[in-house]
Amino acid sequence: MSPVSATYWGVPGFFIFWGLFAIAFGLFLRRFYFLFRLVRLGKPENRFDRIGQRITSTLAVIASQGCSLKSVSRTDIAGIGHAWMFWGFGFFLVGYIVFVGLEGGLGLSIPSAFERVYLSILDIVALFVVAAISVAVVKRYITRPARLERKQRRKEKIIMVSLFTAMTSLMMLHYCVEGLRYAAYNLSSAPPIGGVLASFLTSTGSSSATLLGTYNAIWWLNYVLLLGALVYTPHSEHLHPLFSPANILFKSLGPKMALEPIPPEEHAQESFGVSKIPDFTQKQLLDLLACTWCGRCQANCPANLTGKSLSPREMILNLKEHLLDVGPELLAGKADADSMIGSVVTEDEIWACTTCGACQEVCPVNIEHVHKIIDLRRNLVLTQNKMPESAQLMLRNMQSRGHPWAGIQSLRLRGDWTSDQELKVLSDGDTADTLFWVGCTGALVERNVQATLAMTRVLKAASVDFAVLGETETCCGDPARRAGYEFQFQMMAEQNIEVFKSHNIKEIITSCPHCYNTIKNEYPRFGGDFKVVHSTQFIADLIAQGKLKLTKDLKSRLTYHDPCYLGRYNDVYQEPRQILQAIPNTTLVEMERSRNKGLCCGAGGGHTWIEEQPGTTKINQLRLQDALGTGAAQVVTACPYCLQMFEESIEHKDKKDSLKVQDLAEIVEAAMR
Amino acid sequence: MNTIVCVKQVLDPEIPPAKFKIDAEAKQVIPPAGVPPVISVYDERAVEAALRLKDKHKGKITALSMGSEKAADVIKHAIALGADDGFVLQDAAFENLDSFGTAYVLAKAIQKIGEYDLVLCGRQAADWGAGEVGSILAEILGIPVITLASEIQAQDKTLRVKRIVSDGFEVLEAPMPCLITVGSEIGLPRLPAGPRLMMARKKVIPIWRAQDIGAEPTKLDKQNAHTEVIGLSVPTRKTECEMITGATPADAAAHLAAKLSKLI
Repeated sequence: MSPVSATYWGVPGFFIFWGLFAIAFGLFLRRFYFLFRLVRLGKPENRFDRIGQRITSTLAVIASQGCSLKSVSRTDIAGIGHAWMFWGFGFFLVGYIVFVGLEGGLGLSIPSAFERVYLSILDIVALFVVAAISVAVVKRYITRPARLERKQRRKEKIIMVSLFTAMTSLMMLHYCVEGLRYAAYNLSSAPPIGGVLASFLTSTGSSSATLLGTYNAIWWLNYVLLLGALVYTPHSEHLHPLFSPANILFKSLGPKMALEPIPPEEHAQESFGVSKIPDFTQKQLLDLLACTWCGRCQANCPANLTGKSLSPREMILNLKEHLLDVGPELLAGKADADSMIGSVVTEDEIWACTTCGACQEVCPVNIEHVHKIIDLRRNLVLTQNKMPESAQLMLRNMQSRGHPWAGIQSLRLRGDWTSDQELKVLSDGDTADTLFWVGCTGALVERNVQATLAMTRVLKAASVDFAVLGETETCCGDPARRAGYEFQFQMMAEQNIEVFKSHNIKEIITSCPHCYNTIKNEYPRFGGDFKVVHSTQFIADLIAQGKLKLTKDLKSRLTYHDPCYLGRYNDVYQEPRQILQAIPNTTLVEMERSRNKGLCCGAGGGHTWIEEQPGTTKINQLRLQDALGTGAAQVVTACPYCLQMFEESIEHKDKKDSLKVQDLAEIVEAAMR
Repeated sequence: MNTIVCVKQVLDPEIPPAKFKIDAEAKQVIPPAGVPPVISVYDERAVEAALRLKDKHKGKITALSMGSEKAADVIKHAIALGADDGFVLQDAAFENLDSFGTAYVLAKAIQKIGEYDLVLCGRQAADWGAGEVGSILAEILGIPVITLASEIQAQDKTLRVKRIVSDGFEVLEAPMPCLITVGSEIGLPRLPAGPRLMMARKKVIPIWRAQDIGAEPTKLDKQNAHTEVIGLSVPTRKTECEMITGATPADAAAHLAAKLSKLI
């Protein structure tokens, strides 16, 4: 006997039950459709390619909870807690579907043995869920780790409390319904916890009518709460259960964090980049709804860690709130969209980003923060002609001098580093298969030239046949692109591709991860398909082939700093470490933040030239602390910017005696002789 | 309002001083390899001044540059910034002209363009720094000239110009057409608007030779030049450093004050 077969105030329970379902699902779908239309305010973007692969990988990552297990640190158990809750609710969801079928008065039935087994599983699962919720409550309200700390809006606080209460209540109601049912109908072989409760209820000596009445009431309460939660979720701002799976499904499958070019057909537009909600793409708007507020991005953001105004989470949530605020009017066509720059997102936030990608790397639901920041920069630079003075200086230098360095910043000329070196410098009409692309910093800045020369000597020692461009090499365009000055980048990309083709270049080796990423991942969109190898990959290969032997005992304790554009952007973590471990008698120690969680040196995204905003400290000083913390005598890196940033922070903190920074090519050269 | 801006391509003034080489005998500067020449800084400000007027009053901006064929780059830069059109004036006869010869060539080109309300020049070139061409050009064109402008406003057919003087500024008015030379006080030039960069890069800049502008050979003859370069040398820079000491900081300060009073 199910409570739906009873009659309430003359209305059959059956109608009440399915009526409630119809209303709840109706309200849910209406709101869901509204949110779907909000996403549709954005510009279309084709993310339906390789749909089979997308679906399988999304199902796999969600079912395994690989997404939420991307933990902030080894000691943070939030991911495990979420996984418990997710799997637990998964079991309950199946249970709800089964029991709605059984108890909905549809005349369905299943073997009672199965029912008992499933209920027993739910008994145990509910314990796990309640445990996970308790830990979450303790974390959120008592221990309060930094990543969860934020100035919550009132409605968010209400949502969090409602969520925890509803989840706990549903678990408790599961036990109550079960216990009451077994007691009221005096059923045998009860599931473990339900059984304990049932015997207790029977032992109180309550009449079976009382038990039955209470059971009916609690049974209805359980469904009302469940349906209430269904309606409440899309109406609250807790939208991630609805939109995160879609966000994972439509994640970028191209090279990580490669930027979308402004296509030629849009070059004649009046406005570029993003300043208003409809300027975003649909995926970018979906990102906003998918955010889980978890704060992993913020906890890993170098700007945020050093007290700048940027927090990737706040930026996303502010944009989301703005979307929910202005969305209805935009959908109704009642109002024109307002610019968000200055009000929803400040210019300081936009310029504080080093594009290191740490936020995207740890985001459990594949939010693409960096693209949004670059799109906002594109609007500032290309449409509004507004940028920090240091950014303007950099861009002007790139424009008139072909590189971002200028005057007193560099005492060298582009081709100077090649003088007195026996190098094959390409002139007009010369051809070569392999080009060593030096990059602006490696050619112009004294300290970096040392690393460049070390690399050429390593290549020569391994009898590699390579050429260089010398004075005709220009910038790859990366600093302009990351600063939002897209057209300067496109021009440089086109020019460089022409140069590579004119010399018949097949393979490009470069020591700069920014050039590497740009030429490898971004030039193909402009017709430049070359084999691009980073110097660490090339050296690792030379060692593997036996063409390079590291024989000298350096007796050194080293730590390796992962350049963001080599590690996170291109997943090159292994090769540099292999090389260092191949040096006899060296000990490689890892910093607490390393590999994909490595902290940026502070110079990415044009920040070698764009002045760092005031904060609690400078990013390179924070990173210096990480390196000093390992007790290593040397920090090795594989990026000209990182090398500079370490040199600067070591000098500033007067740590020359305890730590030395070297480019990987320099240490390889030292280990050869 | 139609404006003509004269721009010059110069050796990058930002190159490290140690890289600056001259050929004393030929009395010429040897441009270092791998350093692209740039637009003269003051001329870039003149372009900015023209753009600000265009922002308010519409009209057309034409850029002119006398120099090598490479000067097309500075015209392209001006077009990227917002100029509508531009020409390069290049001829073997134009090489090594003095200020008078340069002004003559520019005047002939401006007369060929014909209609204009305003001619803008930088206050001086960033390489030789004579600061003469603007005034001579106005003289040849027979129009008023105001130098060292820090602000230009147009009203009907009159221009109101804030002109920098040693202890402040003065405000002058001139009827159009006239010529104004622009100082860096006018403010930072803008960054070229995005897509114009790509458009300008692909643009073919016409080259005008002596016969295209009807320049008379006698006027370009070096024999008739008003000035002559006698010699060319790189200035030597001497710095001396003397540590001022004292038993106490107050002592050291007193010594420093004494030293300074002798120097003044």
